[in-house]
Amino acid sequence: MKRFLEILRGIIDELTDQRAYKCHLQAHGATHSAEEWRKFSDKLYQAKSTRARCC
Amino acid sequence: MRVLWVLIAIAAAFAMATIAQSRGEPVNSMWLVVAAVCTYLIGYRFYSAFLAARVMALNDQRATPAERLRDGHDYEPTNKWIVFGHHFAAIAGPGPLVGPTLAAQFGYLPGALWIIVGAVLAGAVQDFVVLFCSLRRDGKSLGQMAREEIGKTGGFAALITVLLIMVILLAVVALVIVNALKSSPWGTFTIVATMPIALFMGVYLRYWRPGKVLECSIVGFVLIMASIFGGQAVSESASWAPWFTFSAIAIATGLVIYGFMASALPVWLLLAPRGYLSTFVKLGVVLLLGLGVLTVHPTLQLPPLTRFIDGTGPIFAGKIFPFCFITIACGAISGFHALISSGTTPKMLAKETNARAVGYGSMLLESFVALMALIAAASLQPGIFFAVNSPAGIVGSTPDAASAMITSWGFPVTAIDMQQLATEVGEKTLFYRTGGAPSLALGMAHIFSFVGGSRGLIAFWYHFAIMFEVLFILTVLDAGTRVGRFMLQDMIGSERTNSTAGMLLTSGLVVAAWGYFLFQGVRDPLGGINSLWPLFGIANQLLATIALCVATTILIKMHGAKYLWVTMLPLSWLVIITFTAGYQKIFSPLPDLGFLAQADKLAQGPQTSATATLIFNARLDAAVCGLFVILVTVILIDSIRVWAGILSGARESRSTETPFIQSELA
Repeated sequence: MKRFLEILRGIIDELTDQRAYKCHLQAHGATHSAEEWRKFSDKLYQAKSTRARCC
Repeated sequence: MRVLWVLIAIAAAFAMATIAQSRGEPVNSMWLVVAAVCTYLIGYRFYSAFLAARVMALNDQRATPAERLRDGHDYEPTNKWIVFGHHFAAIAGPGPLVGPTLAAQFGYLPGALWIIVGAVLAGAVQDFVVLFCSLRRDGKSLGQMAREEIGKTGGFAALITVLLIMVILLAVVALVIVNALKSSPWGTFTIVATMPIALFMGVYLRYWRPGKVLECSIVGFVLIMASIFGGQAVSESASWAPWFTFSAIAIATGLVIYGFMASALPVWLLLAPRGYLSTFVKLGVVLLLGLGVLTVHPTLQLPPLTRFIDGTGPIFAGKIFPFCFITIACGAISGFHALISSGTTPKMLAKETNARAVGYGSMLLESFVALMALIAAASLQPGIFFAVNSPAGIVGSTPDAASAMITSWGFPVTAIDMQQLATEVGEKTLFYRTGGAPSLALGMAHIFSFVGGSRGLIAFWYHFAIMFEVLFILTVLDAGTRVGRFMLQDMIGSERTNSTAGMLLTSGLVVAAWGYFLFQGVRDPLGGINSLWPLFGIANQLLATIALCVATTILIKMHGAKYLWVTMLPLSWLVIITFTAGYQKIFSPLPDLGFLAQADKLAQGPQTSATATLIFNARLDAAVCGLFVILVTVILIDSIRVWAGILSGARESRSTETPFIQSELA
């Protein structure tokens, strides 16, 4: 059950881009702030919006 | 353990036999569920294991692109089930819901068999093999692999095909929205309300609570649920209802304007928040539908086969072969999945063997979703199903004429029954609601209201299902328009970000392209779905043909002809069905089916400016269909030339795989 909840949490983090954000903070040695989120999300959304969505 | 697998195989065979042999008496949907689940289990356990071990020789000692190129951004080794969730959320679109609903005009049996068998032997194989190919090539895209494996011509043809498919896809999904919302103040209010909700979420996420995506999505979901209740109040108000009651043309115009704005506005403001919301609503509703079907296990009211297998169906023209296999694409095999399998997914896999669950397993789950949609549609009374999905041009323009025509086909329905049902779900009428979304919403509402224990909530569930479908499709529409714009900018060499004029021009061109086909569909006397859905199905299956050509080339380079059949089997089937369907849609002498015959018939009748437009549109559809077939023929010939060269030894069989590097994660 614990493992299942961990995976569920992981999937939610993936779908809400929290996992990518954590990686971004780690890679840049930064901590969470409004400015950091905007910097991260601008880059992420730009990349996401060029990918085809499935029918 | 062997005994267990034998029992599963027997259960699958018995369930299939029960479904196939039922004549006259209604069948419980659980037989379909048992047949599907047992077949998926056998396919996953044995066929995908064979593909992983023998054909692909997946090796966990080999470092994946996620490990080798780890950048904390695109390339990142990720837990298998998290990648599974990400991949499934990306491949699940409106196609597996709408396609099976439309194909139910042949009865539930052909669609169900194609969804189950097609997924195990074709769709899941394509997704898995393309994922593997990309995984061994640094996560390259399908277009890049087509250029490298087949040649420049093949790569360019693949790019043009994807852009054209995008245009037809966006037009057809927009038409589904138009038919779901026309003359429906409740539905229209709910959907209009999602726009300010998405904008609010955008501002919330960027300025108010930056990074709190889950919290923001929950707030957005609560507001959307409130908007469904608001829609009910609006529809019951004599003064408010007219403000949200629109004709099909007005809704189509609104969608075109929306598409342009969504493509031009900053992503954080509309696309991103709507994307988050849509993903959660989509996964939640799919789960709810699965649980609903398992709990209610409704009886299938549609017969296993209808008289329309002969090609005279009211929803779309064409015989069961090839049109059942064209209409259901995403639930059995979808070329679009190859774009996802060669997109972000290969960059996230920590181990090669994870590709099996993610590539093969996700497609089986998608197939199961398609089966749930088919069950929801087939659980409606057949008379109601055809009354909702048949255009006025086929069944007659008054409720009495339509009911009489549908009853004469052997599916009894009365105008009074339909009016009662419409009142029950809070609509003015349910006649001529072509496109699949309203009948699917009715089926889902029927199931959900049983689970909820109150028939009184059916109006809420109907509009909840409509909101889900439209929200889902709008996400495809806005993201697709933007992607189309980038593809066009890449092709004409315009600067992606710096030129505002270039951005506005290309956005306008993409919107104009799908908008043209949308208006064509809205004005079509046969309802538009008859022309556009088969065109989209052909296009999507042709993209799968391209993906399988690339995969076949790679398998030949790896093993020679030994495992050629793995991809050649689905590829040959796709070539047969798409080329047959393409030929029939262009050259069939039947005006309901063949675009050119339709143009000739119109040319022989009384001439008005509207007729001239219809004639032009029919010829344009024929040209687009012909172009699809020609483009794929070019890729196919190019591929066969490469395969023959490698197999005869006349061409060097140079591997394009990245060299082996020992994994540190193994």
